[in-house]
Amino acid sequence: MFGWFKNFTSPKLLRAKGVLGMNARNFHIISKYNARRLYPLVDDKVQTKALALQYGVKTPDLIGVIEHQYQVKNILQMVKNHHEFVVKPAHGSGGKGVLVVKDYTDNCFMMSSGKVLTYNELYQHISNILSGLYSLGGRYDEALVEEVVHFSDIFKNYSYQGVPDVRIIVYKGYPIMAMTRLSTAESAGRANLHQGAVGVGLDIKTGKTKRAVQHNLPLTRHPDTDADLRKIEVPLWREHLLIAAKAYEMTGLGYFGADIVLDAQKGPMMLELNARPGLAIQIANGLGLKKAVKRVDKKYPSGLTPEQRVDFILS
Amino acid sequence: MKHFFSVRLLLTVFLVLSLGFAGYSMYYKIKYWGFSLSPKQSANVWAIEAHINFTADGLPVKVSLGIPTKNKGFKILEENVIADGYHTSKYADRIVFTSKNKSGEQNLYYKIIVFDNMPGKDKLKDKAPAAPQLPELDDQRMAQARQIVKLSRQMPGNDAIEQLINLFNAEPLDPALKSYLPVQYTPKMKLEIMQELLAVSGIASRTARGLQLEEGQKITPDLMLEAYVDGAWRIYDTSTGKRGLPDNFLLFQRGGKSLLDVEGGTESTVKFSLQKSITSTMNLASQRAKLAEKSGWFDHTIYTLPLAQQNTLKWLSVFPIGILLVVLMRNIVGVQTMGTFTPMLISMSLVKTGFLTGLICFIAIVLLGLAIRFIMSKLNLLLVPRISAVVIFVILIIHALTFIGYNFDIKIAQASVFFPIIITAWIIERASITWEEDGPVNAGKELFNSLLVGIIVYFVIANDYVRHFMFVFNEFNLVILFIVMLLGTYTGYRLTELKRFAPLVKKVK
Repeated sequence: MFGWFKNFTSPKLLRAKGVLGMNARNFHIISKYNARRLYPLVDDKVQTKALALQYGVKTPDLIGVIEHQYQVKNILQMVKNHHEFVVKPAHGSGGKGVLVVKDYTDNCFMMSSGKVLTYNELYQHISNILSGLYSLGGRYDEALVEEVVHFSDIFKNYSYQGVPDVRIIVYKGYPIMAMTRLSTAESAGRANLHQGAVGVGLDIKTGKTKRAVQHNLPLTRHPDTDADLRKIEVPLWREHLLIAAKAYEMTGLGYFGADIVLDAQKGPMMLELNARPGLAIQIANGLGLKKAVKRVDKKYPSGLTPEQRVDFILS
Repeated sequence: MKHFFSVRLLLTVFLVLSLGFAGYSMYYKIKYWGFSLSPKQSANVWAIEAHINFTADGLPVKVSLGIPTKNKGFKILEENVIADGYHTSKYADRIVFTSKNKSGEQNLYYKIIVFDNMPGKDKLKDKAPAAPQLPELDDQRMAQARQIVKLSRQMPGNDAIEQLINLFNAEPLDPALKSYLPVQYTPKMKLEIMQELLAVSGIASRTARGLQLEEGQKITPDLMLEAYVDGAWRIYDTSTGKRGLPDNFLLFQRGGKSLLDVEGGTESTVKFSLQKSITSTMNLASQRAKLAEKSGWFDHTIYTLPLAQQNTLKWLSVFPIGILLVVLMRNIVGVQTMGTFTPMLISMSLVKTGFLTGLICFIAIVLLGLAIRFIMSKLNLLLVPRISAVVIFVILIIHALTFIGYNFDIKIAQASVFFPIIITAWIIERASITWEEDGPVNAGKELFNSLLVGIIVYFVIANDYVRHFMFVFNEFNLVILFIVMLLGTYTGYRLTELKRFAPLVKKVK
């Protein structure tokens, strides 16, 4: 009976550690620094992409957008110059509804997962996207067709299926915390920590492993690939941070999470932004976000360019 | 930060104000309208009948009877006079029957129905008396009287009168008092002697008559002693020595006047019969409000609406407290439920269906619906048609369950009619999407949490006391409103976060 209580900690200890709770995040940070009207900029990937282009932030190239049901079959016309492409919902989140097509023939599409879809099945999928199956709140949606990211080999051994991305939390333009989420057999190739993916906290200055957790418990080796999680070091770390920092000017959001993938040839690219990033990153890092937020409020200068901010972080 | 504190301060001020308002209006409603905290539906009502009987002498007749004066100790629901051939006129404390020549036996009835007999205040309004005259006693008796007064000072009691009464009631009787009293005496005589002794000690007093409310008949009314103390007339119960009117005592006549005067008649008697009956509290509320000094209000409240509307409002006014619970569970405890108010809707249906039957029925519908939804997911339908199909399936399931329930006399299945169809369909849809995306464990967890919160809310809103309270003292919904708004500024950790983030403060092994 009392053993169960041991799973709990005291609010005092959490405060001392500077842990950010959901209520505090929503009240003190999100409702204060993230104006509602800015949400569409990050919730709609079409808008995010257009902005990124404007601000010189690299994202996977857009092939086309499908807006209406009658346009579904246009996809063939759209991708005629590409043998591989990605279809994703504009308002999706967490990789829901994303199809990665590696190749296609006269009658079927080959997915990167090895699955094969008929033309009709692909049309059906796009149609589902348009009717809002994967969008927040089930609103009507658009389908994005974009170029495939060729993931860097660096992460190859660290992930079971799925593709690891780097999540960087940005507060007032300063990257303050980072992690990468590695999918496992248990999480069925998904990158959600509560489903059993491994979260690896990354040192904000170096991009090296800080600590790794699965189901909130620390671990050192990937449960499926046995790769040493302590040895992760994200290459081109400064570029990662820069993309995250630039997204501040891009969107005007005071607090957001930037999801960045590393393309083997093109370097780091921004995948999506999240105006309400989760709090699990604190567990992966073993650090409290509130502490980091306070540090920015008190000590970090304002009015710097993204480059200056990144240099400030790295110095 | 500054802004944050001012919002919280503002809300706190509003909360305190609303609490004050609700508190006052609760006091007002209890005091003037007689609303009670417990959901009891009935109140005692007393019917009191005074039967005057006398033989007329063939001359003009004038009968005068002391009646209860209006005071806060009770309220009159109905007043009736049966006196054929008499002209009646009412005064503040007497009713007078007059008639031309009458002869033979006469019967007059005066009947009142009273309710809310409260223990009266001990102070009674009336003119101040002149200083009491010293009774005309011979020297020996006067000396005796003074000795008794002196003796009474040693008795327990809050004032001289209580002390004196206690001396009269002491067992055995003090010899000095015993010798002062006649060998045999009636309660009335005893009271007169008390008054005499009070006059000796300079306290003005007089008798009052009333009725102790107990079912049955009474030939003589009960006597009380009135004394002028500290600038006001106060009443004393001579049998207990307590100041103030006893419970359920109806004062009929005061000021030492006679209870019944008959001119033109002889052998007059007055007999009282008392009867208790029960009536609904709401029925009396409007009567009370009319009698209360600041009435007007009651006519502008929901309590004057037709019963059907009142019942609907009663049903509605219990929701805020349920909503408060949902807010607490989500923002303070941190329970993840399906949608914000799904638990609320579940508990509402449970109230309509009954707890266990509703629960079993709900689980059956959701499970059946989920099974059908899984078969449908193979068909790859578009979202809106798919959810619509689930709605239709839920309706069909309810058809089937109700039919089975009726034919096989299974009450549980019959309850299914009361489930909100659209909500149930959405619960099924959400559960199946969570199932597909996050696995059956998470879907089950979400369903379980929603049901759990729904059950907790059910036990609160189905409680008779809570429902009665929130309806009768509906101002408290305003208090809940501000509590909910204040909770909107709560930025501390949620209870579940204490577990979730626990690994952060534990040492890494």
